[in-house]
Amino acid sequence: MSENISRRDFLKLATVGAATTAVLTGCGPASRYIKREPYMEMPEYTYNGLSTYYATTCRECAAGCGLIVRTMQGRAIKVEGNSNNPVNLGKTCARGQATLHGLYNPDRVQGPLKRTRGTPFDLRTNVSVTWDEAVQVVADAINNNNPSEVAFLLGMAPDHLFDLVSDLANAIGAPAPIRYGALSMFEARATLIKASENLFGTAALPFFDIANSDLVLSFGANFLETWLSPVAYTRGFAKMRRGNPKRRGHFIQFESRISQTAAKADEWIPIRPGTESLVAAAIGRLVAEAKGGAVSEVFANVDLNEVLSSADIKLETLEHVAEMVGEAESAIVIPGGSALGLSNGLQTAETILTLNALADNFGKPGGVYLSPFLPNQDTYHRPASAQEMAEFIEKMKSGDVKVLFVHGVNPLFELPESLGFADALGSVQEVISFAVFPDETALASDYIFPDHHGLESWGYQRVATGTEQSVLSGAQPVVSPNYDTRATADVLLAASQALPFKDEMEFLQSKFASLVGQADDSFSAPEINTFTAYFQQHGGWWKKSSELVSPSATDTLGRNFAVEQAEFAGEGEFFFLPFVSPTLGEAGANKPWLQELPDPTTTVMWNTWVEMNPETAHELHIENDDVVKIISEAGEVEAPVYLYPAIRPDTIAMPFGQGHTAYGRYAAGRGANPAKLLGQHFNEAGDLAFAGMRVRIEKIEGKKQMLSRLESRIGVYNEGLEEH
Amino acid sequence: MIRNFFEWVMGPMGRIAVLITALSLFSLTAFGIYQTQQPPDQPIEFTHKLHVGLGIQCLYCHPGALRGPSPGLPTQTKCWGCHQQMEKTFDPNFPELSEKLVGYIERNEPIPWVPVAQVPDFVHFTHRPHIAAGLNCENCHGDMTQVEIAENPQVLNMGWCLNCHRERAANDPEKLVKLTDCGTCHY
Repeated sequence: MSENISRRDFLKLATVGAATTAVLTGCGPASRYIKREPYMEMPEYTYNGLSTYYATTCRECAAGCGLIVRTMQGRAIKVEGNSNNPVNLGKTCARGQATLHGLYNPDRVQGPLKRTRGTPFDLRTNVSVTWDEAVQVVADAINNNNPSEVAFLLGMAPDHLFDLVSDLANAIGAPAPIRYGALSMFEARATLIKASENLFGTAALPFFDIANSDLVLSFGANFLETWLSPVAYTRGFAKMRRGNPKRRGHFIQFESRISQTAAKADEWIPIRPGTESLVAAAIGRLVAEAKGGAVSEVFANVDLNEVLSSADIKLETLEHVAEMVGEAESAIVIPGGSALGLSNGLQTAETILTLNALADNFGKPGGVYLSPFLPNQDTYHRPASAQEMAEFIEKMKSGDVKVLFVHGVNPLFELPESLGFADALGSVQEVISFAVFPDETALASDYIFPDHHGLESWGYQRVATGTEQSVLSGAQPVVSPNYDTRATADVLLAASQALPFKDEMEFLQSKFASLVGQADDSFSAPEINTFTAYFQQHGGWWKKSSELVSPSATDTLGRNFAVEQAEFAGEGEFFFLPFVSPTLGEAGANKPWLQELPDPTTTVMWNTWVEMNPETAHELHIENDDVVKIISEAGEVEAPVYLYPAIRPDTIAMPFGQGHTAYGRYAAGRGANPAKLLGQHFNEAGDLAFAGMRVRIEKIEGKKQMLSRLESRIGVYNEGLEEH
Repeated sequence: MIRNFFEWVMGPMGRIAVLITALSLFSLTAFGIYQTQQPPDQPIEFTHKLHVGLGIQCLYCHPGALRGPSPGLPTQTKCWGCHQQMEKTFDPNFPELSEKLVGYIERNEPIPWVPVAQVPDFVHFTHRPHIAAGLNCENCHGDMTQVEIAENPQVLNMGWCLNCHRERAANDPEKLVKLTDCGTCHY
C-alpha cells in the first residue's frame, strides 16, 4: 500500500503521531522534573530563590572598577558596576561583563600541576601534584637559591599581591617584583609618567578632567576604549557632552585611523604618523600668536610650512583648531597611545602638556591634574616599560635568574617576540606560573600552581587614575572556588615564612590598618575588623571629596626642547599601527562573549584583520578578505584585509588581542598577533616605539579568508551586488 | 489504494485488526499518560508522612516559603541536625538512612532531590504572597501527612490557579482584576 500514499494521508498520519508523542511525553509534570542540589550548609543570609549580591573589584584590567556580582545559590550569574565606587559609578565595560566567562571557562587550570615545558596542555602530559607538594616546591625555590637569583614577574592587577611580593622580596633580599602588561605598553604609560615628572617634578599619572572641559583635543589617546581607565573616562566624556545643558563639549581626535574613540569625535584629523609633536607645537604657536605677547620658544621654533607638508594637514585646519583652543573656556589636550609609542614619544608628551600650559588649565576644572595617592601609598609603582623588560630579559639570558615566578601576565603573548622572552626562558632553571588559564607562558613553565579566578579572590586594587578622590577598590570572593586552586598570596606566605602573616586576610588587614579612622572617608570604622567588614560591604574604601593634586609647574612655557618628526624603523611603503582591540583587550580572547562582540568600527568578530584604505587596496589589486603577508624588520604575519575607508592610505592597522597559540579552546589558533612585527625600538622614556614601524605587504595570491562581520557586505562599496 | 484499504477494513479480519490496533493504541496512550503522572525517583525515599506526622512544621524544612519565591529544599546539615542523634540513622535495617543519608554526609555531597510541584518557566510563582494571604501549605500541596514519597498533589495548571483566584476575589472587582491579570503571574 505504500506505493501511492498521498501527501494528505501522510500529513494526517504524521499529525496523529505527533499528537500522540506530545501527549505521551510533553504535557505531564514529568517533563519538568529536574534535579536540584541544595546547599550542604546554607549561609545564614541566603534565602532560597532570592539572589545574593557581592561587591568586588574587576580584574579584567588594572583600572579597578567596582563590581556588584549577582549570585544565586552560590553561583555567580551576572556582573554589573558598583554604583557607589567612584571609578565607574555603576558602569562596566564589555570586558567587565564578560569576566563570568573567565570564571566558568572550561579551560581553566583546575589544580596544581607539574609539567614538561612546551608540551600542549593535555591530561596525558600534566602531572597533578598536591598543594602540600606545591608549597614545598615554592619553598625550595625561594630558600635553596641565592635571593638575588629569584625573580617575580607580576601583572598590573591585583595590587595587594604586588604589595605582598614587594614585602616578601624585601624580606628575603630578592630584587623587587617587576610588573608588566601589554595595555601599559600600548597606552605608553611610562612615557606619560616620565613627561609628568619632567614637567611637574612628580612621577604620577596625570588626570585629564574632560568632564568639565568644553574642548578636548586628543593625540592618539583611546580613552573610550582601553586607555588608563576607560570606564571613568567614558563617563567623563558623557558628562562633557551632556552634563552641562548650556554647552556641548567639542572633541577633536588626531589619529591616523578612526578608532572607536575617534568615531565619537566631532572632528577626526588624520595627520601623518610621527608628526604629532609638530602639529601640537604648530597649534601652540598659532594660539600663542593669537593671544599676543611672547610665544614660548618650543612653539616659536616650529616652521609652519614644514609642519603643513610633513604632517599632511591644511593650514585652514590648523588655524581652525587653534581658534577653537583660543576661544574655549577650558580646553584640554590629551597625549596617549600611538602618539607616544614613537621614537620621539616623550617629546610629543611634553609638547602636548606644554600646550595645556598655554591653555592655562593646570589644576583648574576641565584641565590637567595629578592623580592622588592613597594615604598609605608612597609612590606610583608603574608597570615596567618595554625597555625595562628588555633589560630583564637580558638578565634572564645571562643566567642571573634561576627561578622565575609569573603571575597575572602572559609575556610570551604580550611582549614583542623580538625581545626574545621565549629564548630567555630557556636560561631560567625553574619557571613557576600562578596562571588561572593555560596561557602561552604557563605552558612554558615547569609548574602551574593556579591562583583563584578574580571573582573567587580576596584583594584590593589601588585606583591609579580616573577619579577625583583616592580610591582603594576592594575584592572579595563572590563564590567559593570552583576548582582546586589556591590564592597565590597564601602559597607564598606558607612557603617562605619571611613575612609574619598567617594568611592573605591577615596581610590585607595589615595594609588596611593605616586607613582606619582617616578623615573624610567613605565609611568610618572604629577598628580593623569593622573596617574589613565595611570594606567588603562597600566594595572598597575611598575619600568622599576631591583630592586631585594641582601640578606644581614652574615656568612650563619657558622650557625649551627640540620638536622634531619621529623616526621610523624598517623599510616599506606603509606606516604600521597596532592598536589594542577595544573588545578583547590583551587577555579577553578566551571569552566567547568578547569574541562574539563585533569590533565597534569594523564589526569583525572572532578574528584578526588588517585595515587598509580602499584606494590603496585598489592600486594593489587587493579586495576584502584577501590574505596578505605583512613584513617588518622583526617578523611577518598573515591576516585577511578589511577595506577601511577611515584610515590614511599610507597606513595599515591591526588589532592586538588575537593570535594565541594556547590560552584555551576559544583563543588558541585564532587570528594573528601584531606584536610579532614589533622591533626593539624604544623612546626616551623606555616605552616601545610600537607605532614607529614601517612595513611592506605581499598579497598571497589566491588565498582568501572570509571575515565574519556584522555589517552587510552589500552597501559597502556595493560589494556582492551582482550576486543579489 | 486508500479505497482498497477501506474495503479490507470493512471485512471481518479488518474489523478485528482495527479493534486490536485501537485497543493497543489506547492502552499505550494510557500507559504513557500514567507514566508522566508518576512521581520521580528520589535519591532517598524520604517519607513526608512520618516527618509531618511527628509534628515537624512544613516551614522548618522549607522556610523560604514564608520569605520569598521559593520554599527551598533543606540542606543536609538540617537533616543531620536531628538524625545524627538518632540510633535508627545508623541501623543497617534502614538502608535509606544508614547507607544513603550517611553516605551523602560522609562524602559531603549535596542530596540531588527532585522537586515535584513545579510550574513552567513562564510562570513567576512566588510563595510569599500566598502564605501572606493566609493560605496554608496543604491548600495547594495536599495533606502531606498521608503522602509517603513526595508526589505532585494535583495538576498545577492555570485553570486551577484561576479558580482559586476568582473564588478569593469574591465580588471585589478591584481584587478580581489584580488576581486575574495576565501580568500577575506572566511577566
